[in-house]
Amino acid sequence: MGWSESEKLVVVLEDGLNEPPHSWTVIPPQYTLSRHVEVLLATGSTILTVDTKESQDQLLQQGPFTKMAVSPNGKFLALFTTDGKLWVVSTDFQKNLSEFATKSQVPPQQLIWCGTDSVVLYWDKIVLMVGPFGDWIKYSYDDAIYLVPEIDGVRVISSDKCEFLQKVPNVTEEIFKIGSTAPAAMLFDALDHFEKRSPKADENIRSIRTELADAVDACTEAAGHEFSQYWQRNLLKAAAFGKAFLESYNADNFVNMCQTLRVLNSVRYYEIGIPITYTQYTRITPDVLIDRLINRHHHLLALRVCEFLKMRTDRVLIHWACAKIKKSTDDEETICRMIVEKLANKPGLSYAEIANTAYKVGQPKLATRLLDYEPRAADQVPLLMSMQEDELALIKAIESGDTDLVYLVMLHLKRKLPLPEFFRIINNKPMACNLFEVYCKQQDLKLLTDFYYQDDRRVESANITILESYEQKDLNERINKLKIALKWYQDDKEHAFEAKAIDENIRLLQTQAQFEKEMNQQLVGLPLNETVHKCITTNHPNKASKLKSDFKIPDKRFWWIKLKALVEMRDWDELDRLSKSKKSPIGYEVRPGLFIKIGDFKAAGQEALALKDIQLLSEIKSKCTNHIIAQELDAYIAQLSSR
Amino acid sequence: MSHLGNTHSSLNVTSLRDLARKELTKVLDSVRGKKCLVLDPNISGPLSLIAEFSLLKEHGVEKMHYLQSGPLETELKSLIYICRPQLHYMKYIAEHIGHHQKDNLSSSEYEYNLFFVPRRTMICERVLEEAGVFGEITIGEYHLDLIPFEDDLLSLELDNTFKELYLDGDYTSIYYAARALMKLQTKFGLFPRVIGKGDCAKHLADMLLRMRKEVAVDDPSSTLSVSQNIDSLIILDRSVDLITPLCTQLTYEGLIDEVFGIRTSHVEVDSTIVGPTSQKPVSATTTTPNTASTTTQPSPPARKKKIALNSSDKLFVQLRDMNFAVVGGVLNRIARRINEDYEERHQAKTVVQIREFINKLGGLQSEHQSLRTHTGIAEEIMAYTVTPEFNKALEVQQNLAAGIDINLQNDHIEEMINRQVPILQVLRLLCLLSLVNGGLKQKSFEFFKKEILQTYGFEHLQTLLNLERLNMFIKQGSASNKFNYVRKHLQLIVDEVDEQNPQDISYVYSGYAPLSVRLIQCVTKGGPTPIGYPVGANAAANSIAGGGARGIVGWKGHEDALKMLPGKTFDEVQRHDDGAIRSKKLIQGQQPRVTLIFFLGGCTYTEISAIRFMAQQDEGQREYVIATTQIINGNSLLNSVMQKIDHLGHSAGGNS
Repeated sequence: MGWSESEKLVVVLEDGLNEPPHSWTVIPPQYTLSRHVEVLLATGSTILTVDTKESQDQLLQQGPFTKMAVSPNGKFLALFTTDGKLWVVSTDFQKNLSEFATKSQVPPQQLIWCGTDSVVLYWDKIVLMVGPFGDWIKYSYDDAIYLVPEIDGVRVISSDKCEFLQKVPNVTEEIFKIGSTAPAAMLFDALDHFEKRSPKADENIRSIRTELADAVDACTEAAGHEFSQYWQRNLLKAAAFGKAFLESYNADNFVNMCQTLRVLNSVRYYEIGIPITYTQYTRITPDVLIDRLINRHHHLLALRVCEFLKMRTDRVLIHWACAKIKKSTDDEETICRMIVEKLANKPGLSYAEIANTAYKVGQPKLATRLLDYEPRAADQVPLLMSMQEDELALIKAIESGDTDLVYLVMLHLKRKLPLPEFFRIINNKPMACNLFEVYCKQQDLKLLTDFYYQDDRRVESANITILESYEQKDLNERINKLKIALKWYQDDKEHAFEAKAIDENIRLLQTQAQFEKEMNQQLVGLPLNETVHKCITTNHPNKASKLKSDFKIPDKRFWWIKLKALVEMRDWDELDRLSKSKKSPIGYEVRPGLFIKIGDFKAAGQEALALKDIQLLSEIKSKCTNHIIAQELDAYIAQLSSR
Repeated sequence: MSHLGNTHSSLNVTSLRDLARKELTKVLDSVRGKKCLVLDPNISGPLSLIAEFSLLKEHGVEKMHYLQSGPLETELKSLIYICRPQLHYMKYIAEHIGHHQKDNLSSSEYEYNLFFVPRRTMICERVLEEAGVFGEITIGEYHLDLIPFEDDLLSLELDNTFKELYLDGDYTSIYYAARALMKLQTKFGLFPRVIGKGDCAKHLADMLLRMRKEVAVDDPSSTLSVSQNIDSLIILDRSVDLITPLCTQLTYEGLIDEVFGIRTSHVEVDSTIVGPTSQKPVSATTTTPNTASTTTQPSPPARKKKIALNSSDKLFVQLRDMNFAVVGGVLNRIARRINEDYEERHQAKTVVQIREFINKLGGLQSEHQSLRTHTGIAEEIMAYTVTPEFNKALEVQQNLAAGIDINLQNDHIEEMINRQVPILQVLRLLCLLSLVNGGLKQKSFEFFKKEILQTYGFEHLQTLLNLERLNMFIKQGSASNKFNYVRKHLQLIVDEVDEQNPQDISYVYSGYAPLSVRLIQCVTKGGPTPIGYPVGANAAANSIAGGGARGIVGWKGHEDALKMLPGKTFDEVQRHDDGAIRSKKLIQGQQPRVTLIFFLGGCTYTEISAIRFMAQQDEGQREYVIATTQIINGNSLLNSVMQKIDHLGHSAGGNS
């Protein structure tokens, strides 16, 4: 964590030291106040606490310190002085915890913590363990050894064995100390009496009645600390015995401990050889233990442990499969079958990692085959891409239904491949094409044109060209684009109507441009109907007629346009003439009728009033929907009937 | 906000909102200090259903802007963008950043945070990358998907799904829908049965099954068990029933949508319509002559007022699903009752009585206000529904749906074009004509196409091509008329409709029963339950045959009709991995079972009303929860596939 900051540390060092430190150690960031890495340096007779920002002199006189060690919980610091004193202080140097004179001028080869309450020193073939209150034990060895600190003790490694040195855990001590009267000890004793059928058992239980639950807990825990299965069993038996006297005792702890011990015993078995303690196991968690097992290729045991503890077995199986691929010399067919058979009954197992392994050890074909079993497309696709299986990656992405994944592959391919090659890959995949079109319509119309062109999709080409034509400000440009589109449509017999329509569109634009000059009106771009309408309202009836014949506007519609325009102009004479003309496709209509037809009830009412036709008025009123106008119409009727 | 969770629904949708709310605060808190929120305009509506503005304020939002083109001026240095992963939004954001960079060379002053709804996409990141601003932005996700509108209504609020799915072939929304449904499954358990109709619906169902497998990989602990509450998921594809949305909705809420347009359960109307300042006593007789209907009176600059349409408004709850024909009467009755309630004050003699009255007054006044609002809206709708245009169109629609005088309708439609009614109205009828008839005869097909191009502009050539591609407006093939069979088999047309006391879902269209909802009835009850038919008897008879999920009948007996409709039909049973151990509760059927209905491509308010009507009929036996990609009507449906350009500033589009 802090290593990236080492450069800064060097700067501080150069300033502060003229000679190499006597000793030094690191306090991990999680144990420091500043939450950064701190380094303790013994220099002169004192110690410097150095972090990334500053160095602080602790101003000690007891030095020089030739050895130092930080306790596993980061709270204490063990120091060894040149005059042979072992000195323990808190890491912030505020508390003086203990001192012990070893009477050895020679600094120990190793100074390490054993748990958090004792310190172990090692000189040539001699191990000295010093407790918190100055009590000590000395061990002698025949050979040279090496000490490895653990969270709860020290591992002693010699040339032919590995020993574990540990302060006896408190619960164990409580139970087995000679003459102990702790509840747990009494309970353990009670079991003994019970098995001997001695009434003292009952007496014992009675005496600890109030603390029985604690005693059960203690026995359970003590069982955990035992390596010997005999003692584990006895302690658990004692716990179970005590449990029987309790009415409501949550047995989870007990059950868990039984399970844990089963796991511990199996990994401690000499063929596996992981002599892990209960404390270590709870610290590293079962997950890490599984990792250790699979890294040692004890896959079967790992699998069983997982099943026993109801953990996911995926990791084990995947690791197994990867190991198999790395080791196996069989042909890919056999390996693939073997792996798939073993993993078949595990739905939802991720094959991506297995496939990746196969790819990395140079078995791309196997990788592809294995990847087929991967349930998560999102995991298949990137691997396939890195394996250069471009087309397959695209197919898988499409299968996943995740459109973004499809884009991921497509954009990758577009960047990587020449355009024709890219088009070739996506051409026969409709979903890819669709998404590509959507993308292009927003990002790159030009690219889309190329795409349609290479695939000879004329109608789409035409459509896209028309889209482009709308964007042209210049009329001629616009017409040119439309002409191109016209060509595309003409190539396709199915689209004769579209061709005709575009042709009309071009003619309309041209006519509009021409009229625009003559009429001094803005026309270009208007729909045909509106153009006609405008021609009429601006008194260019000939032009309107020309449009009608040029574009074959049906009489009925033309009549409607004209009607609307004339009403807008209030050209009553022309309207009269129009409505009475025999040619009118709508037939003879009186003027008020016209207004009703186009929904102008007010005008209709006024006309009817002028005609003094009460019946007509009430007819208009019955059709009218507007309250105000209806009221007006009522007024007209009243007006007429009063006469 | 508080309107959710008031009914005793077995499915607690409020928890979905709480989840979304919690995540929103997390999103806001991820940026420290005061910040400026820049919202996708399409998200702001849904977001308002999740959290009120004061909540945003509490979490440091000082200002809000819509995400749009052009520079963004703000003195706040922390910006949070929340938007859908759409390419044009990325361009806007790049524009904003570019502008800031130009303004002050050290652009590092600003802090940009972008949250994609519902998830980040590679393609958007790519666009940002190409614009050279990717490095400036911190990107996150806001997993807002199904938004609870009501206890029985959830919406993804995606725009234009129908167009994307069927015109563009862009299945992104299916993916989002699948993710959202997956989320529901993790919350409420596996849907025991997934039934549906339509190609895209099938796609969605397949993706759901696939995702379930994938979920097992992602999250080892979640081995999904079969849901205790939900008995099935019915997925209906909009393409299966395009006829229903094209018809004019005749329920109150449906008509509000047709006339004003409802967005995320809010409607914007002129404040004059619902004016709270009006001093006139509200009585049943309509005295307020405010009609800005067809004749365009140059109305004074009317201020728009936003009105929430949800179940917090008790009156609206009563009205929303009614046929509009009876709304007037109900309003009248309520007006009278309120009046009587007010009159009570005269009877109040003693102090105690007066206090009682005062206590009631608050509720009375809000009821009064709500009555005023709805009277105003109803009046406005009334003005619209009595116009000859409306009635003509409605008549054509109903004749088409019922298959009466099909050829005569051609002339009516032609006349409408000649009158230049808005193109959307014409297209609605033409598509309807084509759909019920299996296409138009070559001659009239080309005639109408020409009429439309010349009347509404040549750019609609694309619109027509789009509709043709969607099979909504086509030339008649040789195939026999399939819709006739469907109409008969599913009893889509019910001649006698009692709007006052409806007996059948057909009341929502005054005689036409929405095909989509009939299909749901097939699945849940074994067929339509017409008038007088004992409700549930059918279901009971079939429940033994139902197999997997009891009570759900499935498509049995309707295979022929389904064949006549487009798209695949499917019926999948989902089981728990360790062999189905169904809870006793479910077998005994003590709890009302919930049927989840998903509309892919949107549903209309009338369909919602029809389903609510079914729920009423099935009270105590079955509940329905509707989920949809969005809420649509005929206009919004067609608008999405219409070619839009500006010529001379005349917008070609319709009014919605």
